[in-house]
Amino acid sequence: MTGAELLIDLLAKHGVKEVFGYPGGAIMPIYDALYGAPVKHYLTRHEQGAGFAAVGYARSTGKLGVCFATSGPGATNLITSLADAMMDSVPLLAITGQVPTAAIGSDAFQEVDVLGMSLSCTKHSYMVERAEDLAEILQEAMHLAMSGRPGPVLVDIPKDIQLAQVTYQPWLAADDYKPEFCQAQLAIANELLQSASKPLAYVGGGVQAADAQNELMDFLNKTQMPVVSTLKALGSVLPEYDYDLGMLGMHGGKAANLAVQDCDLLVCIGARFDDRVTGNLAKFAANAKVIHLDIDAAEVGKRKPVDASLVADLKDSLTELTTPLTQSDWRAHCDKMNADFAWRYDYPGELVYAPYLLNKLSQLMPTTGVVCCDVGQHQMWVAQHMKFSHPSNHLSSGGAGTMGFGLPAAIGAQIARPQDFVVTVSGDGSIMMNIQELATIRRNNLPVKILVIDNQRLGMVRQWQQLFFDGRYSETNLSDNPDFVALAAVFGIPGETITRADQVDSAVEKMVASNGPYILHACIDDKENVWPLVPPGAANDQMLTEVAK
Amino acid sequence: MRHQVNIQVNNKSVAVERFLRVTRHRGFELVNMSLASADTHYRVNLELESDRPLYLLTQQLTKLVEVDTVEVVSTQQRNASA
Ligand SMILES: Cc1ncc(C[n+]2csc(CCOP(=O)(O)OP(=O)(O)O)c2C)c(N)n1
Repeated sequence: MTGAELLIDLLAKHGVKEVFGYPGGAIMPIYDALYGAPVKHYLTRHEQGAGFAAVGYARSTGKLGVCFATSGPGATNLITSLADAMMDSVPLLAITGQVPTAAIGSDAFQEVDVLGMSLSCTKHSYMVERAEDLAEILQEAMHLAMSGRPGPVLVDIPKDIQLAQVTYQPWLAADDYKPEFCQAQLAIANELLQSASKPLAYVGGGVQAADAQNELMDFLNKTQMPVVSTLKALGSVLPEYDYDLGMLGMHGGKAANLAVQDCDLLVCIGARFDDRVTGNLAKFAANAKVIHLDIDAAEVGKRKPVDASLVADLKDSLTELTTPLTQSDWRAHCDKMNADFAWRYDYPGELVYAPYLLNKLSQLMPTTGVVCCDVGQHQMWVAQHMKFSHPSNHLSSGGAGTMGFGLPAAIGAQIARPQDFVVTVSGDGSIMMNIQELATIRRNNLPVKILVIDNQRLGMVRQWQQLFFDGRYSETNLSDNPDFVALAAVFGIPGETITRADQVDSAVEKMVASNGPYILHACIDDKENVWPLVPPGAANDQMLTEVAK
Repeated sequence: MRHQVNIQVNNKSVAVERFLRVTRHRGFELVNMSLASADTHYRVNLELESDRPLYLLTQQLTKLVEVDTVEVVSTQQRNASA
């Protein structure tokens, strides 16, 4: 068998049924091996679309996402999605074709040093130098992407190696290294838990990566500890849990941010004290002791000193914490903050109010559905006003904040979960960044719903210009947007435009009830802002709330 | 602070790029380096300068697939005149 056939064969052996990609000269043998193979390939219309579709596929299922690109520009087009997967710890296998071994280093046509480019945006990467190494490298790559803290792994395969005769040899991870936490640290952690009077759980993306929602909920249900979530953790805490304070951070809720500032013990569960979460780090949970649970030792103490750390799989560490019942006055205090600062949807005026619309969508769509989004104000409104029952149902570009993520991620999610409702919420800026993927939706007749929240602005940047740059609105005006419904119609996708609040309910109902793909274009006030907002450099209790438009 | 660190990595040339990239990106300046090839490995001695705590680097180096061992030899305050 050839190297190319071996690749497809190995993917099939590992249960990979779908891959995303775009062909070209240096990867033609692999596309030839795909022809008629049991692994189904989805052609996107840009390699970045393939990368993000693979990310959406992986994040919506916990399975490995796989994408292919050719050498040179094909590979460079993948890079943004690799960086995104790196920041959000997404298990991804990227296969790139490379010019033949003999041509490497000669500035051959479409030659780029992809291995060199990959160093800062992958968990690990390879360029295959000898055909006899191919089988081992591919198997190791799949293992690395999925194990420990997941991440993207790239394998660059020169064309001659794709064509060479190779043999399959099974490969087993030498020692499946599993970090075990230190018992002394566990004892300290349990003492801290016993003596805390205002403990708070701070939950991150690690819960999904470890598939530890059950363990988390067991821990919370026993302790009745109030909990805050990062953007990536949303959905980890089940909606019926009483002491869920929601998202913390720059656009977090008031209750969440105030609780963090007030707590005396912060139990960090698979999170990494990201700057958008902590605001001014020195003032973040300044009076709290910290217990940090993470599989990645390099996250412990990276930004905030800890008092105890359990470096292990969350499934193993969470169950070891002793679980005294959290004191009732602290629970009652958090409960009261939740009630006092609850979101309000009674918006005056006749225009569409995005938070109301998103909250409505959340109520009307199936709880098993997937919500993807792009980056900007609409992304924060999704996080604030929609409810999720699992983190695999909320796909948002967290660490990288990549505009253009939503549409291709929704395509990947819909292909991975054909029975589930999938919607992507985008802005009028972001949707244009991978708009070509409407063609992928059309070709595969994917029933993806698209909600464009149109403020005719790069809204999030405009908001910062208003608040922090004296209202100097440099290059954020998009009032010459195309007609999005007409644009979708060219790809055979029906939809409607709404401009008034009284149209929202029926428009959302219609979108949810539609069988195929659908676009809802909702025009909103161009001056709407996201509140609350913790200004850059401020402590999380110094949040700004609504200022006059 | 001046740090002496010894690491052992697979002798693939990309492994060298990889740990140097991580070293730079995490805020450690390379002052001196020696590299010796020994059958399947490179043995590398690094002398580094940074105000950041060294564990921020060693934890990241340890994560690299090609890095087998990371050993801190010494850490000393830079003398004022240096
Ligand atoms: C690829 C990329 N380029 C630039 C940015 C910076 N950026 C963050 S939010 C934003 C505006 C997004 O506008 P839109 O999609 O219309 O969403 P809105 O904020 O208006 O809801 C920009 C330009 C980014 N996050 N990603």
